[in-house]
Amino acid sequence: MSLAPETEPLIRLRGIQKYYGEYHALRGIDLDIRPGEFFSLLGPSGCGKTTLLRTIAGFEGVSEGTVTLGGQDMTRVPPNKRPTNMVFQSYAIFPHLSVAQNVGFGLRKRSDLNAAARQTMVEDALDMVGLDGYGSRGANALSGGQRQRVALARALVLRPKVLLLDEPLSALDKKMREQMQVELIRLQRQVGITFILVTHDQEEALVMSDRIAVMFEGEIAQLAEAEALYRRPIDRRVAEFIGTMNFLPASVSGDRVTVAGLGDMALSELQSTATTKGDTVAGFRPETATLLFEGQTTSDRVAEGTVSEVVYFGDMTYYDVTLEGCEQPVRISMRNVFGRPVLEIGTRARLAWSPGAVTLFRPGG
Amino acid sequence: MLRTYVIAFLIFLYAPIALLPIFAFNSGSVIAFPLDGFTTDWFAQLGQQTELHAALLNSLFVGVLASILSVLLGLAAARANVRYRFPGKTAAMGLIMVPLVLPEIIVATSLLVVIVRFFDWPLSLWSLIAAHVLICTPFAIAILNASFQALDPALEEASIDLGETRLSTFRLVTLPLVMPGIVAALLISFTISLDEFIIAFFLTGSDVTLPVYIWSTLRFPKLLPVIMALGTIMVVISILILTLAEWNRRRGLRRVGAKDTGGFL
Amino acid sequence: MNQDSKRGLTLIAPPLAYALALLAGPMLAIVLFSFWTQDYLTINRTLSLKNYAEALSDPFYRAIMGRSLVVSGSVTVITVLLAFPVAYYVSFRVRPDRKSLWLFLITIPFWTSYLLRIFLWKVMLGYNGVVNSALTGLGLRDEPLTWLLYNANSVVLTLSHAFAPFAILPIFVALEKIDRSLLEASRDLGENAFTTFFRVTLPLAAPGVVAALLIVFIPTVGDYVTPAQVGGPNGMMIANVIQAQFRDLNNAPLGAALSVVAMLIVTVIALGTVWLARRLSRGT
Repeated sequence: MSLAPETEPLIRLRGIQKYYGEYHALRGIDLDIRPGEFFSLLGPSGCGKTTLLRTIAGFEGVSEGTVTLGGQDMTRVPPNKRPTNMVFQSYAIFPHLSVAQNVGFGLRKRSDLNAAARQTMVEDALDMVGLDGYGSRGANALSGGQRQRVALARALVLRPKVLLLDEPLSALDKKMREQMQVELIRLQRQVGITFILVTHDQEEALVMSDRIAVMFEGEIAQLAEAEALYRRPIDRRVAEFIGTMNFLPASVSGDRVTVAGLGDMALSELQSTATTKGDTVAGFRPETATLLFEGQTTSDRVAEGTVSEVVYFGDMTYYDVTLEGCEQPVRISMRNVFGRPVLEIGTRARLAWSPGAVTLFRPGG
Repeated sequence: MLRTYVIAFLIFLYAPIALLPIFAFNSGSVIAFPLDGFTTDWFAQLGQQTELHAALLNSLFVGVLASILSVLLGLAAARANVRYRFPGKTAAMGLIMVPLVLPEIIVATSLLVVIVRFFDWPLSLWSLIAAHVLICTPFAIAILNASFQALDPALEEASIDLGETRLSTFRLVTLPLVMPGIVAALLISFTISLDEFIIAFFLTGSDVTLPVYIWSTLRFPKLLPVIMALGTIMVVISILILTLAEWNRRRGLRRVGAKDTGGFL
Repeated sequence: MNQDSKRGLTLIAPPLAYALALLAGPMLAIVLFSFWTQDYLTINRTLSLKNYAEALSDPFYRAIMGRSLVVSGSVTVITVLLAFPVAYYVSFRVRPDRKSLWLFLITIPFWTSYLLRIFLWKVMLGYNGVVNSALTGLGLRDEPLTWLLYNANSVVLTLSHAFAPFAILPIFVALEKIDRSLLEASRDLGENAFTTFFRVTLPLAAPGVVAALLIVFIPTVGDYVTPAQVGGPNGMMIANVIQAQFRDLNNAPLGAALSVVAMLIVTVIALGTVWLARRLSRGT
């Protein structure tokens, strides 16, 4: 679900700077987050994504800049007075309270509610996360996945304007993580609350988010929808962090570019072009090229090479192919169709590729 | 072989303690072998020792106040130590913990010099309470440090995130979760104060505590069998308190969902 | 200054103020006091090194100080040597769910009145005591032994007993922290149980052993009760002399000087032990 960009932003961050002593954790963040959006902050550890989330929650003060929530300046408002709630990485389930007491924790100060109304809200929240009937359990009797559901119910029962999720799936095993991804999407659509997710897992961000901000070293490198981020990474760092990409040395001269191993093409043929001259880097994703088999023909361009490594994945096979005129092998991923043999190391191979899948990056970066 | 050694060691540890009940129920008035016969007279005589009663009350008074004050100071110090970074932290914590590595005779003489020679104040139970707070606080801090360290900081943040203030968070989340540590710190401080002799010997005036009273009776063999009876009762009470402490610790472990690895103290 | 620092300083202020007022202040006072001199019934407040000269040159005080260090040093070494196998047994041989019961067993005697425990050793070792009764009763000796009590040996024995739990606990904690897979790795790499103990277990337990050494040494140097009860005239230690100066001999400034000297010696030895331990652990 993507919303029209002209919608008034729910969260507006302007010029956020954060210093810890000498360390510059956030370097001028400007960010608008729309109402009802599933937004992700993605980046490697230490990039400032959690700090940014905690800035929105109010746990971290800012050194400079403003935080606006629903049109109100929240920069100096403490976390308990903000219309945001958080799902912590450790879930922070109060171990001395029952599941229902945990979920009802934030309702204590709601003097407009009587005990029955509170109980109904708690039960509805537990029902929503699929934990109906768990209210009287002790917090320590829960599995990892159940603890996370309690944390979700505890935050959502307060109907916050924004739900902040700090690496909520990192403590779960792979199966559970995939299941919770789907549930989180369902839940977000159901309640219509803005979710902001912090994660270092690019797959998770791609699967779940309407929009993703990729962060490096305290800055937002790229802000885009999942598909755009994957197809048109703005620079080499983003391209490397999201998915896999083959990088090849390239050289631009006039309106043409020569890519090592692939050959010569017009700049206008490429999918995206960075304005650059001289030596630079070109990249393509492993799944945008195919290996041709004996006698197979193609309308794409063809490069020649040798298979130098084969990694079998069941439904997929990864081939590393050393192209002529290029030392660094490129990786190609192929779906394993029944009956088609897997190539062996040392086999000569023809690589079918299309200039439309090649991205040109600024040198360095 | 190791097992045999350990059993021998336990016998060595318990041998003197085992003598307590033996002589407490021995009708002979001299603490030596051979034994005479069985009696419960010495326990009955405990009720008539008014000096002992006064000393016991003094000890309880000192122990209760010293342990409460130590734990209050210990809570502040342990909280500051675990949760916050501030200039001079290492030096401040170092100074507060010094009594752990200071012979008690030094604490006793230095306080005696200040109270009597510099200020010329009279010695009282209050001077002893002040000294006991000084030596009990580091023990309280050691225990409470562990309690605060075991507390996930996200729990307090979650409470604030859910609308509570810093103060109500302390009451609703922090306090219940460190309560087993507080109880353990109170018990340890109380026991240390109750058993402390040398500082009490220096700093009590006419109001003596139980150890000082026992010390004075050790010179009068006539009173010794009664002291044996008293010691027997004290051992039983100690075991009860320790059992209580262990139960409290296990409850604390269950509460935070940790596994019992047998860490006593 | 940020908010964290302010909150931390606010919290640390009461315990710190308390320690400054009741520990740092009195320590400075006793140092100052040790430079004054006793003039019969009054105190002469002119600064003088007379007390230190006396404390350091008088053969009696030197002998007492030397004996305190020897006795306390022996107690420390014996206690830690006796304690290590016990800590090892509880940590490595006892089932995990039984460990707290064992620690419970070890600590119970320690919660008995200190004074009574010391006194009971007098009963154990005395002329009509347990040991002598047993020896004569079994016909092993005709006459009771008289050398069991009232000497430095009885002080060492009694203190070793009193401080055993203090030595066991830190060693136990250090042993518990050892990752058991390290021992398996050592065996896997060709060491036998014996060499694994010396090449892996012992070095990793070293911090606990050092802690045990200090925890026993520091309080035993200044112990008063044990020498007074079971030491006899030849078992007296520095605390007894300090106490005598303050109470009976009424030369408090000299007592203060002896306290300061004792404190300095203990500090130097403690720091030396820590320094030596760090050097040794870096060497292996």
